[in-house]
Amino acid sequence: MRILGISAHYHDSAAALVVDGVPVCAIQEERLSRRKNDSAFPLAAVAWCLDEAGLEPSDLDAVVFYEKPMRKLERILVTSLRAFPASWRSFPQAMKSTLGEKAWVKGVIASRLGVPARKILFTEHHQSHAATAFLACPAREAAILTADGVGEWATLTVGRGSKARDGACAIDLLRELRFPHSLGMFYSTFTAFLGFEVNEGEYKMMGLAAYGEPRFADRVRAILRIAADGAPELDLSFFDYHRSGRRAWSSRMEEAFGPPRSPDDPLDPGTPDGKRLADVAASVQRVLEDRLVELARALRRESGLSDLCLGGGVALNGCANARILRESGFERVFVPPAPGDAGCALGAALYADRIHFGRPDRAVPDHAAWGCPVDPGELERLAREDGLALELAQSDAVLLDRVAEELAHGRIVGWMDGRCELGPRALGNPSILAAPGSAETRDRLNREVKYREEFRPFAPAVPAEAADRYFDLPPGGARLCRFMSGVFPVRPEWRSRLGAVTHVDGTARVQVVDAETSPRFHALLLAFGARSGIPVLLNTSFNLSGEPIVARAIEGYSTFRRSGIDLLAAGRCIVAKTRAGGVGLEREAAS
Amino acid sequence: MLEASGILLVVDPRRAPSLERMLRPVHRWVWRDAHRCARKLMTFAATEADGGRDLSRAAELTGDPLLRRLFLRHALDERRHAELLRARGRTMRAGLGAGGGALEWRWLTPGERGRDDLRVEEEGDASLLAFLHLSEKVAAARFEIYRDVVADEETRAVFRRILRDEEFHMRYTRIQLERVAPERHRRALWRARAARLWKGYLRVASALAGRLGTIVLLAQYFLVLPAFALLAKRAARRERPGWSEPERRERPDALRSQY
Repeated sequence: MRILGISAHYHDSAAALVVDGVPVCAIQEERLSRRKNDSAFPLAAVAWCLDEAGLEPSDLDAVVFYEKPMRKLERILVTSLRAFPASWRSFPQAMKSTLGEKAWVKGVIASRLGVPARKILFTEHHQSHAATAFLACPAREAAILTADGVGEWATLTVGRGSKARDGACAIDLLRELRFPHSLGMFYSTFTAFLGFEVNEGEYKMMGLAAYGEPRFADRVRAILRIAADGAPELDLSFFDYHRSGRRAWSSRMEEAFGPPRSPDDPLDPGTPDGKRLADVAASVQRVLEDRLVELARALRRESGLSDLCLGGGVALNGCANARILRESGFERVFVPPAPGDAGCALGAALYADRIHFGRPDRAVPDHAAWGCPVDPGELERLAREDGLALELAQSDAVLLDRVAEELAHGRIVGWMDGRCELGPRALGNPSILAAPGSAETRDRLNREVKYREEFRPFAPAVPAEAADRYFDLPPGGARLCRFMSGVFPVRPEWRSRLGAVTHVDGTARVQVVDAETSPRFHALLLAFGARSGIPVLLNTSFNLSGEPIVARAIEGYSTFRRSGIDLLAAGRCIVAKTRAGGVGLEREAAS
Repeated sequence: MLEASGILLVVDPRRAPSLERMLRPVHRWVWRDAHRCARKLMTFAATEADGGRDLSRAAELTGDPLLRRLFLRHALDERRHAELLRARGRTMRAGLGAGGGALEWRWLTPGERGRDDLRVEEEGDASLLAFLHLSEKVAAARFEIYRDVVADEETRAVFRRILRDEEFHMRYTRIQLERVAPERHRRALWRARAARLWKGYLRVASALAGRLGTIVLLAQYFLVLPAFALLAKRAARRERPGWSEPERRERPDALRSQY
């Protein structure tokens, strides 16, 4: 059975293909369109998935959309009505946006893909999140917690999933929290208040939180309180996202926390105003973590299960995930590589396969590399055409040794290996790598490569067998770090030697690399360790500010040429920059 | 001054489109307000950064190695411009107090401030070069005027630095257009001019349609919705805070429904 999953129209659209119960490929539209967070209908992603599997749209047994569009339209309409007349400004915007393509998804899919309407299915938004988290994880039975901004009505669900011995799967969502009460909207509102872009700047707020003290925590707790039945509840008088289209917070927020930051203003946690903003971030982060831990504890008591699957955009909060693992009582916490809406394409397809069609459970390969592969031959051709220094290594071992040597000398390396990953993390297939030791490297990366705020931390990658030596991982921590989903302390004795990846609070968002699923990246870490004494590398996403992560050799090459990356490696091909002057190029252009 | 080869080497304000020249007093008025000036610089920075991304995509898509190198260089220039404009905008903002509600029209859809309405994937090398050449020419003429009308020397210096690059951009796009389309470069330029006009029309038309749509929806909002709003508010009052039971949809065809 061939099932195509699609997520689209809000942020990060994607397509995923499941054949006979096993994912074959999945990719975000942005990786192909090269528009960051592309939310358009993922036509390129669908076409690539079908090409990759050698299928025509007519070969598909079902196309599954990741949410119920009419139910979503109902929520938007009812929310406008409830806020009448304050919603007069947001109503036309919402209607124009929704009544365009969003409400007519069935027709759009049928016409663009040429599949009959009877083959088109719709899961619920949080069912898709739950399926991404549970059906792709190795646990047979697990509690499920999903939380994001909003789907149709639900913003948070708790439930349980099971995979019986005969392969029958079940996902039972027990209860839900409904819009406008939402942990995701709570966090996003503060993200916007601090001047960061919503759906993009949440990481920045988490990074900024480490610079602050949670001195506003009591005020934030009064805003995100607990209802009598234990559900999180927002004091809506602080918010405006459910009423007006102008901004997400009300004037009460400014009374409580001071003026918001303009996105164009610089942010320096060393200044008094920067410190205030960092304190707000720290307070919001603390309260979000507390509420999530309380929810997880209650779910643990109720379910009696040892495993927890987390889904939804809130599951990208690595600090919260780490506290859930430490404090909730669950022995293992699973977070998929793409817990946000992009991953829902995969979740929707798996849900249809296991639950709707009732097909038996199949083990899902435990990695994130479902995207398009890199062609080293293309990089070789580009380097030759542009007259760059090109090296072709005789063997993998020679290449790894060479790259490790360059890294040990403080060079920044663009590393492309295999297929690009689904989700927001670069997990070592396309990644920018550097030595983890010096803060100087970190500053150079921020200044010449990533062009981003100095307060944002970089992540370390470490082989699974060495992780405990450098990082203070609790039981189950290595699993959570498989897809860089947890933030844990760097052991104090290593902090000075891991300066580029140790955040100001002594923590790091660790990636634990398994030799079985990432053999080359694992071998590179060991090769670097053999030279430097520490098998840890700084691993950051292979993209420039405002651009999606690279997927193909040409995009890696273009990024390499436009940034301070010293070396680019793909397959057995290594390309280095030469000192070609701009004057030469001008002469060439004018000839 | 225009050279015999038809390549614009130095931007001459007298060569700026006549409409732009006629609008010079308006530009002077626009740039007089410091708040508006800072906002404009930040908008230009965003546009230049967008343009840089388009150019890097163009570099990734072209099969011509020389064009690839030139587009990459051009992309780097655009990013540098964005940084210059942003830095200047931030400095100006820092020196200003709160407020600054100066009149500014923003009802047109974004576009033509730079290359933000360009679909790089849909263009061939020749049409892209023609489009870039015209865009650079227009941008250079405008920046030339802005350089002359801005009041402070620092902002003027930013425009001056950008203009130096724009000259190179105009020159290389024209020369490369003649190289990749020796027989068709004039036609490509005329087509690019026509495309710019068409896009201009589309922008105005979609802005007007958007406004019209808003008016119709607002009329419905105030005339049709009040009664339903009353019912919705009453229903909301009956809702208890906290957890809700998910609606059970366990029938076999649950996934067929969009609702």
